[in-house]
Amino acid sequence: MAEGIRGSVWMYHGLFLAIALGLLFFRLLPLGSMAGDWPGPDILLCVVFAWVTRRPDWLPVWLLAAVLLTEDMIMMRPPGLWTAIVIIAAEFVRARVALTRELAFVAEWALVAGLMVACLLVYRAVFTVTFLPQPGFGFALLQTLWSILCYPLVVGISRLAFDLRKPMTGEVDRFGRPL
Amino acid sequence: MARLRSEPEEFSRPLRRVLVGLLVLVLLGLFLLWRIDSPRVERFRAALVDRALPSMDWALVPVTQAAGMIDQFQSYSSLYAQNQELRRELQQMKAWKEAALQLEQKNARLLDLNQVRLDPKLTHVTGQVLADSGSPFRQSVLINVGARDGILDGWATMDGIGLVGRISGVGERTARVILLTDTNSRIPVTVQPSGQKALLSGDNSALPPLEFLEKADEVRPGDRVVSSGDGGMFPAGLLVGQVVMGTDRRLRVALSADYQRLEFLRVLRSHTLVPITDAGALIAPPLLPDGPDTDAALDVGSQPTRGAAEPSPNAATAEPNADPSTETDAGDG
Repeated sequence: MAEGIRGSVWMYHGLFLAIALGLLFFRLLPLGSMAGDWPGPDILLCVVFAWVTRRPDWLPVWLLAAVLLTEDMIMMRPPGLWTAIVIIAAEFVRARVALTRELAFVAEWALVAGLMVACLLVYRAVFTVTFLPQPGFGFALLQTLWSILCYPLVVGISRLAFDLRKPMTGEVDRFGRPL
Repeated sequence: MARLRSEPEEFSRPLRRVLVGLLVLVLLGLFLLWRIDSPRVERFRAALVDRALPSMDWALVPVTQAAGMIDQFQSYSSLYAQNQELRRELQQMKAWKEAALQLEQKNARLLDLNQVRLDPKLTHVTGQVLADSGSPFRQSVLINVGARDGILDGWATMDGIGLVGRISGVGERTARVILLTDTNSRIPVTVQPSGQKALLSGDNSALPPLEFLEKADEVRPGDRVVSSGDGGMFPAGLLVGQVVMGTDRRLRVALSADYQRLEFLRVLRSHTLVPITDAGALIAPPLLPDGPDTDAALDVGSQPTRGAAEPSPNAATAEPNADPSTETDAGDG
């Protein structure tokens, strides 16, 4: 059964797109986020890291760029900056797939947490350099902390719902190539 | 097997790296373009949102309604207590309503006596809130009226009671309202009754602070804050809120508009502003109007009761010139 699901990479591309659009949709609902509310986690970022650590082939760069750029546009963020930062971070993880495959979950969590904080710092640094107004540092850090806390949850749900896990030794894809 | 797999990768990996590098460069270029030429990119963004969001309307509305129903269901538990409280308040309100009606009549009479002309251009367009920006760092909402309905950038937006924000970004069918709580929002306001001018600058909290107050000690918590109309951005006298003392000992404004449930928003059609370009010409008495206008001036002179008849705009301008004749008339009568 798992073979059948794992068969099509395109299905997972579609799945990622659906998750991203669903998250965007719920954030757009006019349910009145008051000014001064605590910021919630950036779940899309968790999903990106969870997928790219486990199955980088399910999350190609072009799809990541398209989804994040759309989010940038609709969420009134400066277009392109956050997308570029997350792509660089994802590429960083992708280039170390051999390493992350060996890592225990706690170590992986620490790596992702570090990357999220790094993303935030770079994002804010660019804001400062280009003289853009930005919210307080603690306020923004809170969102990142939330995201870090949510990461195991996202990983667990992805594991249960989409059978997202690291490929095991000797596992082969549809064409019989080792993963 | 492993060899077969690794062979094509030796070619594709550097190529891939170059492509990703290019992609990141393009994205950073887009960011720089936005930083340098913001209006162009923002127009593109507005067009994109305009295209994407109304088509999501069918899905946004039911979910919002459902959430609203759950919200209301929770309030059923406290319904009885609320009902009693409302009855009591209604009793008090009746007294207030009576007072308000009398004041309104009095106000109308005084306005009539002063021949005040209310600006006929101050009409409004009502729009429904389509979507929230959703992020705690950006306070803005989208409404379902846009360039099609004649909305322009910079117009004031109110809910039933108070000022909510201003239009910033107009698409064909949607417009974005920057709320007063957004960090980009700066509104010139007047604090009543002391008449102190200040700037209400959003800082992403529910209570935006008052800045550049000249004499802060003349302003007390509880004072009314209205828009001042300075800078010609907003019409003057729109209710903004009440002064409160923040926990950080700064004077802040509790907004009158109900930010919890922004559902329908009024966009005020503001004046088309005429910029003042020259330093000012020679100050001279206004020229005597010719032709039928002179007759109008004479009409004013012979009219003993003012405000009873509908005054024509010409009469108002010609009035200073007609003053001597009025005096002679009064002497005769």
